[in-house]
Amino acid sequence: MTTGISGRRQWPLPKQAVPGAPLLAVEDLSVRFRMPGGPSVKAVDGVSFGLDDGEALGIAGESGCGKTTTALSLVQLLPGNGRISAGSVKLFGIDLVPKTERQLARYRWREISIVFQGAMNALNPVRRIGEQIAEPIEVRLGQAREASRKRAGELLELVGIPRQRATAYPHELSGGMRQRAMIAMALACDPAIVIGDEPTTALDVMVQAQILKLLEQLRRDLGLSLILITHDLSVIAETCDRTMVMYAGRVAEEGPVRRVFTAPRHPYTAKLLSSFPNIRADRRTLGIIPGQPPDLRTPPPGCRFAPRCSEAMPQCTTEVPPEVRFADGVRVACHLFPPGTPGSLPGTPGRAAGAPRALAGGVS
Amino acid sequence: MSLPGVAGATAGASAGAGTLRRAGGGAARFLARGDGLVGFAILLVFVVIAALPDLFVGPLEDVTTATGQPLAPPDFANLFGTDELGRSMLNLTVHAARISMTIGLMATVITIVVGAVVGIVSGFVGGAVDAILMRISDFFLVLPTVVLALILAPVMLDVIGADAELFGIRSTLLVIVVVIGLTSWATTARVIRSQVLSLKERMFVDRARVIGAGPGHIMWRHILPNVVNLIVAQAVLTFAGAVFTETTLAFIGLGDPSAPSWGQILNAAQAAGAPGLGAWWYIAPPAVCVVLVVLSFTLVGNALDDVLNPKSGGRR
Repeated sequence: MTTGISGRRQWPLPKQAVPGAPLLAVEDLSVRFRMPGGPSVKAVDGVSFGLDDGEALGIAGESGCGKTTTALSLVQLLPGNGRISAGSVKLFGIDLVPKTERQLARYRWREISIVFQGAMNALNPVRRIGEQIAEPIEVRLGQAREASRKRAGELLELVGIPRQRATAYPHELSGGMRQRAMIAMALACDPAIVIGDEPTTALDVMVQAQILKLLEQLRRDLGLSLILITHDLSVIAETCDRTMVMYAGRVAEEGPVRRVFTAPRHPYTAKLLSSFPNIRADRRTLGIIPGQPPDLRTPPPGCRFAPRCSEAMPQCTTEVPPEVRFADGVRVACHLFPPGTPGSLPGTPGRAAGAPRALAGGVS
Repeated sequence: MSLPGVAGATAGASAGAGTLRRAGGGAARFLARGDGLVGFAILLVFVVIAALPDLFVGPLEDVTTATGQPLAPPDFANLFGTDELGRSMLNLTVHAARISMTIGLMATVITIVVGAVVGIVSGFVGGAVDAILMRISDFFLVLPTVVLALILAPVMLDVIGADAELFGIRSTLLVIVVVIGLTSWATTARVIRSQVLSLKERMFVDRARVIGAGPGHIMWRHILPNVVNLIVAQAVLTFAGAVFTETTLAFIGLGDPSAPSWGQILNAAQAAGAPGLGAWWYIAPPAVCVVLVVLSFTLVGNALDDVLNPKSGGRR
């Protein structure tokens, strides 16, 4: 049981799994937060995306755009006042949205695990890291203490920490090692999907590079599927196959990283990219995006980026732009690219039609 | 009954899963600290004499076996002088250590176990459970110790009988243990609850929940190890307070006259008019013992607090 961490899928698929279904297909997901004495906040509004086996998806966007909420709602780890108001989250074809807490426990950590933001806070300061990494193995998989400790040692080695360090307390490790320990913990139950919630945010660039390299290598070796949440586009450029740019709770643009980053279609993506330093471009100043993201209690009608958009047209403030898919695998929600634009795929009216499976298939 | 190691008692009361193993590794660091070592040495002396009083001063003297003159000042025959019956004060004080420390220990264990369980559950579960437990603790928080003892003593003696014994301790003394426990658990519960309220919002608790750990597991494996230093500090304070309270209650006559404790001796000294007669040797030995035990416990508690907290000191 404790051998071969690298073997794909040690545990059988859940019984209800639909044969041939994609690993993950999220459709039209909406999340609302109840606010005391006011309208609820529509933090995520009609988001669709998919994830294939072994794929890495980067969710980008500025603070408060719903990246983390989207990811956490996959296994319904939302704060007490948040709930999924619409949509489906299908893992192996099993819809997780209607599941009870008890039923969801089967999927949390065993199928979808999380590398939390800020490893120092997510580790218990008075317990040794080995014990903490062994914890999901003991609790989740019901293995004996000895076996789980042994596996914790293997996991530590896997993420590049000598297993002797299992007896160290979190404060005795460097920031990078703590983050590695968090990754080891996320891998403990051999999950199908690992969500990295800003896994490199608090680290310096050297350590960031090491962690990203580690994630990349683990993905290759273990065949993991990754969802990486970050506001740092360079992280996505380095590690992900596809990226999804979110703005104010909606998908602005989604597609293969190379396509989206070299030829952004949505004005927001373009602005976001131009606000990052580029070593090759002859630019002295960074672009900025004027204004503030909208208040999600009362989002603007139509396109949510319209108030800040330099390309805004009259219809942008009244009509919600439909998502249009292109032959190169990119999906855009912008009135600049109405259905029927040259290069777009026919028959894709409406937002919910962004069928992730077909989209992912179109990439390769 | 022989006393278990008193230092082990605080650790025993706070036996978090990882704590005991850590305590083993921290022993060297603990003894390397000057104050911890001194406190531990004093405590060890008291534990040894409390466990084996006969070995040092022979059996407990009574009126028939008393050897000295009444109220004789210290001399070579009786190093600590004698009481009004001619009993050696050294003999009495040493034998009293067992009663005083056993009562202190039992009261501390009750206080800490009840206080920690109530505090952790109340803080972690919250809601109605928290409200009910805290109202109950409010009630016990305002109970005056001495008055409660005066009321409880006859009731308990009537219920269990004055001659009943538990671990070789007469029921009169058990009343004192129960009274100290009843009046001091609420403080411990409050202190621990307030810390738990802050701990349960920490991310590692969320992480444990995501992993699928139940509330019991989280409280035992995540919350408890984080409040061990509080528990140790509370245990030390409670033990010191319990020895004091025992002394007070025995002094006002609630003790067991046939089993001398330090408070019982002070009570006897007062009854014999020792202060008026200038018989300081009747009062000093038990009083100094109380002070020394309380002091040593405070020193040990301080050192334990540092050693049990992995963040302070001991960096590799």
